[in-house]
Amino acid sequence: MRIFERRAAPAEGAAAAALSTALAILAALAVGGLLFLPFGADPFSAYAALFGESFLTWRGFGFTLLKAAPLILIGLGTVVAWRTGFGFLGFEGCVMIGAAAATWVALMVREGQILAGLPFAAFLPLAILASLIAGGIWSGIVGLFKSRFGGNEVITSLMMNYVALLLVQYLVSGPLREPGGLPQSPRLPRETWLPQLFDGMRANAGILIALAAALVVWALLLRSRIGYEMVVTGLNPKAARFGGVEVGRRQFMAACLAGGLAAMAGMVEVLGLHHRLIDGMSGGVGFVGMVAALLGKLHPLGVVIASTLYAGMTVGADAMQRQAGLPSSIVFMIQSLIVLFILAGEFFRRYRLRLPGRRTASAGEGV
Amino acid sequence: MTPFLSARGIVKRFPGVLANDHVDFDVNAGEIHALLGENGAGKSTLMQIVYGLYGRDAGEILIEGRPLDLRSTRDAIAAGIGMIHQEFMLVRRFSATENVVLGLKAGGALKPLDLEGPAREIAELSRRYGLQVDPAARIEHLPVGTQQRVEILKLLYRKAKLLILDEPTAVLTPGEAEALLKVLRTLADQGHAVVIVTHKLHEIMAAADRVTIMRDGRVVGSVKTAESSEAELARLMVGREVALTARRSTRPAGPSVLRVEGLTVMSDQGRSALEGLSLDLREGEILGLAGVDGNGQSELAQALTGLRTASGGRVLLGERDLTRASPAERRSAGVAYVPADRRHVGSVGALSIAENAILGDQRAYARFGLLDRKRGRSFAAGLMERFDIRPRKPDYPAGKLSGGNLQKVQLGRAIASDPRALIVEQPTRGLDVGAIEAVWAELLRLREAGKAILLISAELEEILNLSDRIAVIYEGRIMGELPAAQADLRRIGLMMAGSHGEEDGHADL
Repeated sequence: MRIFERRAAPAEGAAAAALSTALAILAALAVGGLLFLPFGADPFSAYAALFGESFLTWRGFGFTLLKAAPLILIGLGTVVAWRTGFGFLGFEGCVMIGAAAATWVALMVREGQILAGLPFAAFLPLAILASLIAGGIWSGIVGLFKSRFGGNEVITSLMMNYVALLLVQYLVSGPLREPGGLPQSPRLPRETWLPQLFDGMRANAGILIALAAALVVWALLLRSRIGYEMVVTGLNPKAARFGGVEVGRRQFMAACLAGGLAAMAGMVEVLGLHHRLIDGMSGGVGFVGMVAALLGKLHPLGVVIASTLYAGMTVGADAMQRQAGLPSSIVFMIQSLIVLFILAGEFFRRYRLRLPGRRTASAGEGV
Repeated sequence: MTPFLSARGIVKRFPGVLANDHVDFDVNAGEIHALLGENGAGKSTLMQIVYGLYGRDAGEILIEGRPLDLRSTRDAIAAGIGMIHQEFMLVRRFSATENVVLGLKAGGALKPLDLEGPAREIAELSRRYGLQVDPAARIEHLPVGTQQRVEILKLLYRKAKLLILDEPTAVLTPGEAEALLKVLRTLADQGHAVVIVTHKLHEIMAAADRVTIMRDGRVVGSVKTAESSEAELARLMVGREVALTARRSTRPAGPSVLRVEGLTVMSDQGRSALEGLSLDLREGEILGLAGVDGNGQSELAQALTGLRTASGGRVLLGERDLTRASPAERRSAGVAYVPADRRHVGSVGALSIAENAILGDQRAYARFGLLDRKRGRSFAAGLMERFDIRPRKPDYPAGKLSGGNLQKVQLGRAIASDPRALIVEQPTRGLDVGAIEAVWAELLRLREAGKAILLISAELEEILNLSDRIAVIYEGRIMGELPAAQADLRRIGLMMAGSHGEEDGHADL
């Protein structure tokens, strides 16, 4: 008999999704563990070092939160866009645009500029607003192309990434260039930096901004009328139009909000970590954020968990390389394996195993 | 005599469902055998087991008395079993011949493909069974009925003895359906065994020699059609008596509610779908719009509900001009719509019944921008109670509902909005007898309540049973309109085919 058989109905529901994700992560860790063996390392102690550093030490957890904040914000943007059926991929560009906008506002707080002496409590909302608007306009252009001219948002948004990267390159080597120095902006005034959460911990208020954004996105998408219309649009635009939803408008809104959230990630990076605008500083975070959103099953809470896990693995990988001499690239391979196994899990929600020699196919039903 | 195919004691379990419970099923060579049952009765599962798509948990399958080791569709095809699915598996840009030979391994991978031999053979098969397929014709240029005959050719070319057709007439016009049944008879006369899976009783009575009826995964009877009747088959299928003739009270229609004047609409392909169409919908009346699918009915419904822009003409609700109004504005003005495609237009499968029940009315459920989900759920619960929608769980995903239950959700949602005019499109397509009965009764109740109803249906039986007036649409124009009392099948059939239904060619109005 055949080994795989289509299920009468796909295993849907939150429990099946959570279980298949958990099993996928375990399977990836098991397979990935084999990669440690050629180095003579014990996979269990390697994993202990990996996760112990990033989640159980005060210092390491601080780094984990520091790295998780932008991933969460980009992941939330992904959730909003993709759930509304807007296949946006331009988060990397929006991160740069948001970073540039925040830098611009922060530089105006310098001595002798128009916003000099602005207290942080007034500066932060202004910076958030600036990055939100800049990112929203940036992705809104893509949304407009789609809703007005039917442009393919996958292609236009990817192209806009390059435009954004080059625009920032221009800014840091031209108008915002630090006098005499490298292609980067001057250092931002200290009073515009995001405050640290605790003394001696690298995590800053960025994680709080990210968590607050997760709460807002959750309420908007899963509790409000507009969110309902967005979700219906994403699942079935025909049904949305039938239900009186203005599909183009909702997708445009989703585009703006997604870009705005990613731009806030850029702001958090600038004000919390780099403290200046640097050419190419996003370094692919816009793409990793999309992966985190996928791992989090496009749910705001899932995004928070997946981003933290992903950030923790990245932090742990560095520590592992430093302490045990194991290449950190193994961890990136494991991260990729997790993605592959989660995709395989989707298959098992539609098919079940039928092992030869068993009368009733109960095997594999739990997966 | 030994049946060509014999399935003995077939058992098939899915988690939580016993889809086939010790099913016995025989088909003889030379007969048309109908497999009848409501949706979910297990008939498709049985056929998919026979065709090797599903494994079985118990039972055996014999071909001409010999057990068949059935592991995959490959084994089924080798044993002479062929199946045609409801959705055709054809490459639209390929010719009939290319489609027929697709997937067959002839010659090496690098050898040029010989299409002339197969084309000759296909032409010969087509002639022998009266299929009228041009081997060189491209699929995308062929009407649906001919595409189906290409599917039949695929099976015959693979030397199939047994042909299984799943709901073969669902996509056909009445004329095409009749032609198909003739082809099937030819096939049977030449020694093939034919199984049609269906729930259309009149077709079975017209075409099949024997019928096996399934209910809840079991066979409840196997009878010769000559010794049975539609009423008996319906009773066996549903498990109780059903009355499939709607009783209408005669009453005069009220004033005009929805007026369509000279409506012109383009199709998605940019062709003219409606050309100056006019209709008048009156209070307390069902206007049946008969016509073969694809003659502008969907475009009309979409233009009336704001889902498609009119390029000319007007739509008036009472005195109000709705021609440029958005779908939401039309809803609140009192035009409700039950679309034909309940799975892809009328509902969102991944969302719950409750979330689907408020679709279109979501503004009324919002307070300070937040949806009042509790109220949505209690509304859905009420709807499910009133229309007997099962399972009675507002959180159940709408996509998992049966067609009949989903249709009740759609219809209930439209009724609950208390519309002045209701547009229903193909309301009973794909439904089983019990569900059809419920939907018809609901439409008649609405008519009693004084609503103006436009019933768009390709099922003449439905139009004749429910309508007060009948209009016939052909290529975007109304060919004629007549009161139900004067309707006769022949005249409507002629109009559906594009003639004016009168020998002298004048419209009847």
